[in-house]
Amino acid sequence: MNTFLRKNLLLLLTLAVLAGFLAAAGRNMETSDFVITLLRGFSVGALTFLVASGFSLIFGLLDVLNLAHGTLFMIGAYAGWTVYVRPDTFIDLVTPLALLVSGFTLADAWRHLAVRISMTGRGVAAWIGFGVAALLLAYILPRYPIAMWNVDDYAQSPVAYSLAASQGQVTPPPAATFTEIAPGVAVLGLLISSAFIAFGLAWLRSGGQAGRPLTWRSFTRVAMVLLVGLGALIFNDALTAWLFALNSNWLFAIAVAVSVATGVALGGLMEVTLIRPLYVRPIYQLMLTLGLSVIGTELVRAIWGRPEFTMPKPELFAGTGAGCPATTFGDWLTHHCSTVILFEGRVRVYNEIFIPLVGLVVLISIWILLKRSRLGMIIRAGVQDRQMVEALGINVRRVFTQVFALGVGLAALGGVLAAPSIGLSNTMGESFLLNALIALAIGGLTSYPGAALGSLLVGLLQQFIIKYGQIGIPIPFTEILFKPTPPIVPASTVLLMVIVLLIMPNGLLGKKE
Amino acid sequence: MDYLLDVQDIHTFIGQYHILQGVDVHVPKGSITALLGRNGAGKTTTLKSILGLTPPRQGSVRFAGQELRGLAAFDVAALGIGFVPEHRAIFRDLTVEENLRIAERRKGDYARKQAFIFSLFPDLQRLIGLSGGALSGGQQQMLAIARALVPDNRLLLIDEPSEGLAPVVIEHMMAAIRQLATEATIVLVEQNFLVASQLAETYVIIEEGRSVQAGAMRDLVNDKATIHRYLGAA
Repeated sequence: MNTFLRKNLLLLLTLAVLAGFLAAAGRNMETSDFVITLLRGFSVGALTFLVASGFSLIFGLLDVLNLAHGTLFMIGAYAGWTVYVRPDTFIDLVTPLALLVSGFTLADAWRHLAVRISMTGRGVAAWIGFGVAALLLAYILPRYPIAMWNVDDYAQSPVAYSLAASQGQVTPPPAATFTEIAPGVAVLGLLISSAFIAFGLAWLRSGGQAGRPLTWRSFTRVAMVLLVGLGALIFNDALTAWLFALNSNWLFAIAVAVSVATGVALGGLMEVTLIRPLYVRPIYQLMLTLGLSVIGTELVRAIWGRPEFTMPKPELFAGTGAGCPATTFGDWLTHHCSTVILFEGRVRVYNEIFIPLVGLVVLISIWILLKRSRLGMIIRAGVQDRQMVEALGINVRRVFTQVFALGVGLAALGGVLAAPSIGLSNTMGESFLLNALIALAIGGLTSYPGAALGSLLVGLLQQFIIKYGQIGIPIPFTEILFKPTPPIVPASTVLLMVIVLLIMPNGLLGKKE
Repeated sequence: MDYLLDVQDIHTFIGQYHILQGVDVHVPKGSITALLGRNGAGKTTTLKSILGLTPPRQGSVRFAGQELRGLAAFDVAALGIGFVPEHRAIFRDLTVEENLRIAERRKGDYARKQAFIFSLFPDLQRLIGLSGGALSGGQQQMLAIARALVPDNRLLLIDEPSEGLAPVVIEHMMAAIRQLATEATIVLVEQNFLVASQLAETYVIIEEGRSVQAGAMRDLVNDKATIHRYLGAA
């Protein structure tokens, strides 16, 4: 116990000082204000944590500073919004995406085939295949019917659809149909181009090494993907109608799942194609992720437009009628009020209770994953010594991909959760990435509990400063009432970071290098 | 003669530096072979080149008849090669048990080998819940060897097992390595010639990135001139 005290003296002192600040803040405020500010701090802290934890996992194991993390957070939000407000677009997209992926699910089989047909000039042949695939895609994709919003026309813009959805007026937009291209041609063309690209890549890489034994798994995988893709094509109208009629709680759950899946897929793809070749050149990696974040933002602007819009909350958190705001948990359960009365203050259930709860669940799940699973064990070991992990016969590269995908998935989860609370904008990712970086610096860059603690501190500090901007801080022994202006909000977290780093250069819970 | 490990004329670069400039190592099955030489001669790099951690650019590394050059390190290790690196490379944040479990190549490896490992290193059983960082140097060295024993390895590459250990602990370590030699073939890098000469049956001397001499250890022990020339005072 004594050694624990001595080792963590600085940390405990810092926490005591912070607790002191918090208590002082509580004394100068109404209880209701204090509780609400505390909960808002938890909410911002939870969202920051979702960005920070993924960022820190990736940095800890892969040594990659993923500056695109904020953009991926934002993409998670927009993907979730698309499923939630425009499920028709989502269903239309499933088919071409699944068909394009189908070729790659057969990777094992291609590798086998590539070893068999190892003729000279295979490089040229592979590139001809890529060319054919590119031509096919260039012909099919622009003609492929996808019902979408129109950012140039206000009546059909995301803003208008969001407004309609929040008022419960769900009128499915006209479905897109195959007019310029026959469905059979489109399907076949997509399948062929996907197979050409996947086989071409396998062919280029087959450097005389024998592939692994062929299993049935790759064939069941391709069958599953084709089933999903063709199913979404054949039952397109039925699926769309079903999703539009679905209870918004379920639709929200689907939106969250799709958004996380999008993040995981994007993360995995990014690691395999772009990050992997650059492990030996860290500076290039930094430039790459920075560039990707800009590209991502511009893509979002091109697809969803620049104006900010909102995402309606699911029914469970949107009740306003009789019996609201609820005063007891039972009342809330029956009326699904958007707000509840807590310590005489109105608390928004989604923002201030649901988001922190999800954050807590994620915190605990990842903790269990790290401490109890084999993957977690490999991650913890790899953070310290990657070469040794590899020398044990563990495919570290695969673990890298998994961790990158997991980290980006967490960011996407943060984005889709944040959307109904703070709305969607092109810049929502930047502020959270900045918050997350500050939180990690405070908590310790590669420390998982550090990410949680840092995020919480950043969230609380920001919300308390915002609150004091309204009510003012009485400066002792004077008559002055100091009201922090909005620019002080981000500055305060940076100040906290500077103070913490001056006292503890590795952050509150970071390890000495 | 049939060798379990047959390294022929490998050349390894680290950055632009031509570290290994032609190393041959022939390891008969069931033997202990010592790699000898001065500091910085390229002994550790030879071990890492065999494993593919610093892949050689030229030459060949054959293990049980299979060419290893071009394989990734984890694929090489999975063929049944265990590595006990210099400075042990124990995972500090993992417990002793986790340090052993992570080496499992197939589910159940640890449960199967537990009894054997604890009979070899009884101390580890007592320390099983401690984190790797809390162990002493000797305990870490035992754990590092134990970790290489969890999966069924046919070949063990052991780098500087006696480095920084107290004489009593070195005795224990040598006894353990001798017992291991009955189960697996061992390649040993050892600065301490006394330790190496008592353990190994064959030797290879590496000097400035080249293997310059090899043979039976009992001949080397009496060859004071060679010892003096390549290994300094003995």
